[in-house]
Amino acid sequence: MTREKMGNILVWILIIGFGAWGLPGILDRFANGHVNTAYGSYIPWGLWISAYIWLIGLSAGALMISVMTYVFGIGAVKKVGKMAFLVAIATLVGAMMAVGLDLGHPLRAFSLILDPNLHSMMGWMAVLYSAYFVTLCVELYFAIKKEQVRGEKQKSIKKILVVLGIWSIPLAFAFHGGVGGVFANVIAKPYWHGPMLPIVFLAGAFLSGGALFATVAYIWRPSQSKEEFLKMMIFLGKTTLALLILDEILELSEIYVGTFYSAYGEGHLWQQILFGQYWYTFWIVHILIGVLIPLFLLTAKSKSPGAIALAGLLIAGSFLAVRLNIVIPGMLDPEIKGIADAWVHSKLTFSYLPSIMEWQVLLFIVAVVMAVFMIGKKVLPIYQTAGDE
Amino acid sequence: MKSWNTICAYIGTKYMSELYTDILKNNFKGVAMSKEELSRVDEKLTLETDESRRDFLDKFSKGIFGGLIASGVVNALAPVQAKANMDGSNLNFSEPFKPFDLPPETPGEDGILRMMRDIQRALKKPIEQRHWKMVIDLRKCVGCDACSVSCAAENKLPPGVIYRPVIQQEIGSYPNVGHVTLPRPCMHCDEPPCVPVCPAEATWKRPDGIVVVDYDQCIGCRYCLNACPYDARTFDFGMEYIDGAADAPKVFLGKEKAGKYETEASYEYEKEWKREGDQSPIGNARKCHFCIPRIEKGMLPECVVTCIGRATYFGDGNDPQSLVSELIALPNAFRLKEEVGTHPSVYYIK
Repeated sequence: MTREKMGNILVWILIIGFGAWGLPGILDRFANGHVNTAYGSYIPWGLWISAYIWLIGLSAGALMISVMTYVFGIGAVKKVGKMAFLVAIATLVGAMMAVGLDLGHPLRAFSLILDPNLHSMMGWMAVLYSAYFVTLCVELYFAIKKEQVRGEKQKSIKKILVVLGIWSIPLAFAFHGGVGGVFANVIAKPYWHGPMLPIVFLAGAFLSGGALFATVAYIWRPSQSKEEFLKMMIFLGKTTLALLILDEILELSEIYVGTFYSAYGEGHLWQQILFGQYWYTFWIVHILIGVLIPLFLLTAKSKSPGAIALAGLLIAGSFLAVRLNIVIPGMLDPEIKGIADAWVHSKLTFSYLPSIMEWQVLLFIVAVVMAVFMIGKKVLPIYQTAGDE
Repeated sequence: MKSWNTICAYIGTKYMSELYTDILKNNFKGVAMSKEELSRVDEKLTLETDESRRDFLDKFSKGIFGGLIASGVVNALAPVQAKANMDGSNLNFSEPFKPFDLPPETPGEDGILRMMRDIQRALKKPIEQRHWKMVIDLRKCVGCDACSVSCAAENKLPPGVIYRPVIQQEIGSYPNVGHVTLPRPCMHCDEPPCVPVCPAEATWKRPDGIVVVDYDQCIGCRYCLNACPYDARTFDFGMEYIDGAADAPKVFLGKEKAGKYETEASYEYEKEWKREGDQSPIGNARKCHFCIPRIEKGMLPECVVTCIGRATYFGDGNDPQSLVSELIALPNAFRLKEEVGTHPSVYYIK
């Protein structure tokens, strides 16, 4: 059995498994709204918002690969540009599902596309995601079209792809830096507030998205020679390694500054992250699985495509823990001491552990993301290459 | 209604409750109070307030009883209001404010009356010339939660939604221990951090200083909840007090009977809101709005009139004659978290 076939079977099993497991959660969400979620009014954002940042980051990272292909013309990834668009679209769909289900009135959100509050970074998100979605679809259309025509037509489509690719660079920076801005703007939350966060978000997005793509390209590689494949995987591995080191430098900087005065500002929140109740999300899921093991694989086994793909999967998957550790700790501090005891209710607390229903909804979303990719891969000619003239 | 009964008990006359009923009639039903009735109220109140302090105290104790009777009178007249409240058809919030007569001003009169006069004066001005402000005297607050509970009753708040919790804290260490109580309504900041973050422009600051939410516009993203440095916004998760209660049809305390409260509409923002299905305000951010429907009719916010310690004051901060303006000028008046630059409209006195 080929690697691709094994991948297909495994992913479809996951889609069916996650879908079946997650369906009750989705039904609960539609039947009872937000009643069975663990977040409340004092910790208003939870797993779904973290998942949204995670997925939109994966999308932005995948877009970066396509930019490398069509704008910078990097040969190593020239055959996987279309697949990068597909990954970006699938993860964008998942991100929009996650944020949509998190809203109190999801249908009203469509009005934001035409009439957003441009003072609000979240208002900008509606505009930018719409623009991003349209851009991705148009780019994918032309990327497919490019392989179906020859001569002058192909040259003009190439130019269009370069223009669209250049346009998508500031767009990616805007929409993902903007997500960081959604949090960084909140003066009430010292852990989020500051100019670093949008940069950290961008670095994390490019890292996790690029890493995921290394896995995808490994399993569903286009027809290419062994040398070409090796070249592509080594390029993706090196890119991932560079981004991983950059991301860790930024994280270290945040931890250093954040913990310097342990009794002031956000110091105690970092204490919570590093040594609190959920320490394992940082040390085990993020540092061990998401940083140390991939770091070993990407350096010691830098020429092994399988090791690079595994490192990519570990980074991309565990990045949800990074997103959770950005979103949740920011809200753990009461704005006024003692407020949680003033009016007692399960939705008025300062502790958060996602409920089973929240996990179910997330699994369903992941199943949808994988299904969009698998169906897109089947329906669209993303492997077709006509060769450049 | 109960809040006014408290005042009736304090002043010790049933005429006040009659007056209140007339205000309700006047404003909700468009029926004007007759001149005879008004002069009767004036005369009686003048007599009451002219009496000596000792007499007043004597009256006060009787007044409690009188107030209870007044409650009875009010309750007898309750169907008028109940009808207006239940079906909502009699409520006409679009009608401009019609000033009603208050008892003549007397030295040392109850702060409630003075504040009602302040409100009437403010309502005569254009909206942009008013600035509603609240002052809470922490020395008088006993931490009884009456304001929280009455607010929940007035606005039909579901479980998990609270506009004005009272924070209680012990300070110091034994044997030097103190107790602090701090009611926390929405601060109605002049620079509200919750407003610019709203992606749907569903929340804004009115010209009179009140920060409002348009439930029909709000998408329920909860960004404003995070942006508020006072945790003053809560989300309506669609919960009900009768969730999990046993069905017991035709029984005194069955789910259906007990759930009557849940089906009653609230009149926040001068509109009728019924919590049904996933309709707004379910799925929306909710917050204190200084009881707009009450103040627009010349009444004080519910938390002000139910405060048993007379610790909460309300009025027009732009009016130098108002009680709140006097209190804000006290050297021991302060605002919460001045350092975040929100310029709250709620002041505290310690």
